[in-house]
Amino acid sequence: MSGPLISIDRLTRHYVVGGETVRALDGVSFDIGQGEWVAIVGQSGSGKSTLMNLLGCLDTATSGTYRLNGADVETLSDDALADLRNREIGFVFQTFQLLPRATALANVELPLVYRGLPRRERRALAETALRQVGLANRMHHRPNELSGGQRQRVAIARALVGDPSILLADEPTGNLDSQTGEEIVRLFGELHARGHTLILVTHEPRLAARCPRAIKLMDGRILGDGPGAEVAALQATRAVGT
Amino acid sequence: MTEAARPDRPRRARRGVIRLASETGEGLRIALSALVSNTLRSLLTTLGIVIGVMTVIAIVAIIDGLNQSFATQMGGLGAHTLYVSKWKWIMSGNDWWEQRNRKDMGRAEFEAVSREATLATAVAPFVSLDATLTSGQAELTRVRVRGTNQDYEVANGVTVAAGRFLSPPDVELSRSVMVLGPNLSDKLFPGLPAAEVVGRRLRVMGRPFTVIGVQTRRGRLMGLDLDSEATLPWTTFLRDMGAKRTISLAVTSEPGQGQALEDQLIGILRRVRRVPPGKPDDFSVNRQEQLQRLYHQLTGALYGVAIGVGLITLLVGGIGIMNIMLVSVTERTREIGVRRALGARRRTILLQFLVESSLVSMLGGAVGTALGFLVAWLLALTTPLAAAVTPGAVGLGLGFSAAVGLLFGSWPAWRAANLDPVEALRYE
Repeated sequence: MSGPLISIDRLTRHYVVGGETVRALDGVSFDIGQGEWVAIVGQSGSGKSTLMNLLGCLDTATSGTYRLNGADVETLSDDALADLRNREIGFVFQTFQLLPRATALANVELPLVYRGLPRRERRALAETALRQVGLANRMHHRPNELSGGQRQRVAIARALVGDPSILLADEPTGNLDSQTGEEIVRLFGELHARGHTLILVTHEPRLAARCPRAIKLMDGRILGDGPGAEVAALQATRAVGT
Repeated sequence: MTEAARPDRPRRARRGVIRLASETGEGLRIALSALVSNTLRSLLTTLGIVIGVMTVIAIVAIIDGLNQSFATQMGGLGAHTLYVSKWKWIMSGNDWWEQRNRKDMGRAEFEAVSREATLATAVAPFVSLDATLTSGQAELTRVRVRGTNQDYEVANGVTVAAGRFLSPPDVELSRSVMVLGPNLSDKLFPGLPAAEVVGRRLRVMGRPFTVIGVQTRRGRLMGLDLDSEATLPWTTFLRDMGAKRTISLAVTSEPGQGQALEDQLIGILRRVRRVPPGKPDDFSVNRQEQLQRLYHQLTGALYGVAIGVGLITLLVGGIGIMNIMLVSVTERTREIGVRRALGARRRTILLQFLVESSLVSMLGGAVGTALGFLVAWLLALTTPLAAAVTPGAVGLGLGFSAAVGLLFGSWPAWRAANLDPVEALRYE
């Protein structure tokens, strides 16, 4: 692999709300390499959600460039973006976002349906992914028959099943109690150890502090980019200072 | 570049096909689970479609049934027969007043036509009234009694199941003999087979008659029971039941000679009836095809009404479908967002909702088709109307409802497909 997996250069995203331009993201640049575990941290309104939407190819920037695994995201059509999300990105949401009427297995199979894999292949890959997150005996349960932690594991299996370049997790522990949240963070650690590239969007400095690298956002700009513990601490001092 | 891409192409095409197939399958699965989890709502939604399709199918089944029996009966009556009568079959405006004052037709006209109409292959006079028939076992009131001659068998396509039809001596000698329709035979002589009814005696208006034959069963024609007629020599009829009645003539020709025969008949009748040159005919030459034309006008109008009613109901049903699909799209906004995030293209979401709306609509169409045939069948049982199930009608019902589902589902589906994934994921 030549060059970084993700390369962002002076990325901006402006919204026009009630005739006023809001600079949600105002010139952000960084690279993320293959196999990194990065936290994007900031308070609400810092621009981290906007950045996550851009990184996840759900939204396109007002200006600047975003290269993901060699593809120039800004130039792609809607269909091409859908295919890119399908291939390159595994989403993990705060509220799990599982389909309520489908079994765990069917939920995990979904990205492969959109990739056009035959049924048998989908089934096999989905079973493997569920086994990886420790849900081998919950495959045929529906989300309402699973605990919060189990639901998030299903969501992680769904994110992993298509073997994407990055796992993009938005407040993955936000809706979990601290013990279950801890299990999920440990699972991320295991995935990182296996070589997955993880991007974790959170407002919790304690979570960011446990990541090898953290990017701290404030008012749409990068406040700090470095080892997780340092960047988290940076936030703490500023919070005390103001 | 192209060389490198070439071997990849069949694989990509195959993957596209699998993807489309699995997306459609996924769409079907989602649609079915949505239907099952909202059973009541789905039922209410499709009610409009059910009623619309039911109406159309019922009317179409009845028209098809009528067509079939009409065609059979018309075929049985012989298309080459001309019916000469004081009355015109299809009247309009003041025709009735004019025709009421026409001179009655009688023996003179029949004799002139049988003597002079060289193109005629059969000439059957006929005259009828409603009378009471009594046998030893039963009394039947208001039976259609017809006086005619041996040619009526040919001209009107009557056949006998037992015994014989009228013969020339029966007519010449004014014999008191009678041919019964199968229904009359069954009612007057219950339990007796046709062969044993022949030779039995019965009374018409107090006068004794001998049964010489029983007709084969013919069925019904537009509510008219063709199997409940009693036929006797017209000479006997005129002698016993009143000589002053007007008669009609059924005249047949060789195929293709109909027009020539009509001209010949008009010439003969004008002379016999002394119509001055330049005056209009004071009689009418009727044909089966005039009835057919009238029939087709009537059923055509009925078809029009059926289609109109059906279209309006389907429109209402379609709006119901659109409404519920819009609700469904709103309810599943987040689900749409998730699907888009996982790699569903706009087209995929569009397909999913189109599959759902046409499935709902087609289910309604299927139920409506079944109910429509049920209604038609019940009508056929309880009224003189006939009903027939044709594949065309089934196709019409299902096809129409699927089309309605697609048409009215397309706007909600388009809305679903064009949701912004970011907004959709954030939707509460």
